[in-house]
Amino acid sequence: MNLCSNVPATSGLVRLFSGTRKCLLVGAMICALPAMGQESSAQPDVIYTEEDKLNQSDQGESDAHSSAAADDEAPTTTGDWLERLTQATQNLNFQVTFVQSRAGQETVPYLWRHAVDKNGQSLEQLNLQNGPGRELIRVGSVVSIFEPDVPPYSLRSDYINGPIPSELLYHPDALRKGYEFVSVGRARVAGRPAQQIRIVSRDNSRFNYQLWLDEKTGMLLKLNMLDLQGALLEQIQVTSLTITDAPHAYFQRVNQASLPKPMAISPSKTRDHAWEVTYLPTGMHEVRRDIRRLALTGQVVEYKMFSDGLVDVSVYVQPAADALGSDLVLRHNLNTFLTLTDGKAQVTVVGEIPPKTAESIATSLSLTGDTE
Amino acid sequence: MTQQQEQLSAFMDGEAQDNDIIDVIKQDAELRAKWQRYHVIRSGLRKEASVAPQVDITASVAAALENEPTIMAPKKSRWSKVPVLGSVVPFARQTGQYAVAASVAAAFILGYQQFNQPELPNEPFMTAPTNPQGGMAPVSLQQTRTLPRNDMEVMLEKKRKVNALIADHEQQVKIKQAEEQSEEAKQNNQPESQP
Repeated sequence: MNLCSNVPATSGLVRLFSGTRKCLLVGAMICALPAMGQESSAQPDVIYTEEDKLNQSDQGESDAHSSAAADDEAPTTTGDWLERLTQATQNLNFQVTFVQSRAGQETVPYLWRHAVDKNGQSLEQLNLQNGPGRELIRVGSVVSIFEPDVPPYSLRSDYINGPIPSELLYHPDALRKGYEFVSVGRARVAGRPAQQIRIVSRDNSRFNYQLWLDEKTGMLLKLNMLDLQGALLEQIQVTSLTITDAPHAYFQRVNQASLPKPMAISPSKTRDHAWEVTYLPTGMHEVRRDIRRLALTGQVVEYKMFSDGLVDVSVYVQPAADALGSDLVLRHNLNTFLTLTDGKAQVTVVGEIPPKTAESIATSLSLTGDTE
Repeated sequence: MTQQQEQLSAFMDGEAQDNDIIDVIKQDAELRAKWQRYHVIRSGLRKEASVAPQVDITASVAAALENEPTIMAPKKSRWSKVPVLGSVVPFARQTGQYAVAASVAAAFILGYQQFNQPELPNEPFMTAPTNPQGGMAPVSLQQTRTLPRNDMEVMLEKKRKVNALIADHEQQVKIKQAEEQSEEAKQNNQPESQP
């Protein structure tokens, strides 16, 4: 190295290779890690990533929020933490970028903003950042959807349905029938101190989740979906989080008058079937039933849907004559597809559940005597 | 001479009758050269040549060894006395290290891809064996085996039906969410509008 520095040109080159500022930053972060574990939440930001530095002005403002929240009382139970998550996603002015990744698929990046305007109206935006994109804007309780190749339309809804399950964000208590929330402890996610919570189905019949919430604000930082063997199925990872006092300038540019008017969806009619499902995982209940034709093949199916808030399961019953002709188990994305043929009827179960659970549901079908 | 040559080739093949040939080779410079050439030719034929035929390093190594013992630390090479080159040469050595690091990174990426491959579905659907999960028969085309020409059509038809069901499920999930929320939104709106 001494030799190198005699010659200005080469020493410059060497410096180029010998590590950038980023490496030093990473080193500093690693050094700071052990210190973090010992400190209580009193010390807010030991670590700055480069991103944090850029947002430092915003961070200062967000301190006001968190200190106000901390005055109430420090959250201790998983219920308190989930309550904070709901409060944060409904009341804070935030901008979050996160990525969604699934095994064997490309990572999908999203931008998520929320704001409360002067009139106390809640505004929300979710934008798919890759490709032609997909933009959802919520003003109060109307969600407008802008997609390529489809004229923009609006629906009445209190929240945007994104990759993060809305039941988890807004009604976590409704999930307690089927799932148990277990506090795991402190961790570090996206450069911030976080609280880890496991979400486990009570009868071990569904996929499990791991959830990381920001200690300061309660915002979601990471969500893992795991199969029963603990393998990762889907991951949502926040890459940046900015909380501000004022709503983001984006929301001022939204011309609320020009958004499409909400469509009215008439609830579908319920039709009775001659069969019932006698086994359901704990916390699941029937949400709809009808008889209709499949859009792609025109086959007539009897249909029931069950839900526990996090996952939806469809059960189809068809005459065996126009069915697949054999039993089958498949995986499509996160969905399990299971078909059983029994005599004259074919039963198909589709949903984000382990194959074993799908089989239990399919084999539990029984005819109800009174309807026919 | 020809006898010695025969003995030499026999010795190379490990078929020498006695060890006299070793002494003969040691003493005869021409035979030693031949001995070396034979080896180069053999390894060349076996495609394991590691030494270029005309480079004989044994003599230079021997000479170097004779001069070596007194030197405890390596001398600076002549290059380092030339100001610019002296700095470039160590730099070149460093780039060697970067090359190693880069190749490690490449190996890691390869390894990662290989690790991931089993999970990548080549088709939209992966069939899973159904037997371990209970009394279900595995996917089978038994009924259509008699007409092998129709297999493809049957498979496609099957796929179409499976796709229809999955597409319907996904659509139903969307509709359900929209419906539920619109009902909720209506209920929530009414109390809000009163005050």
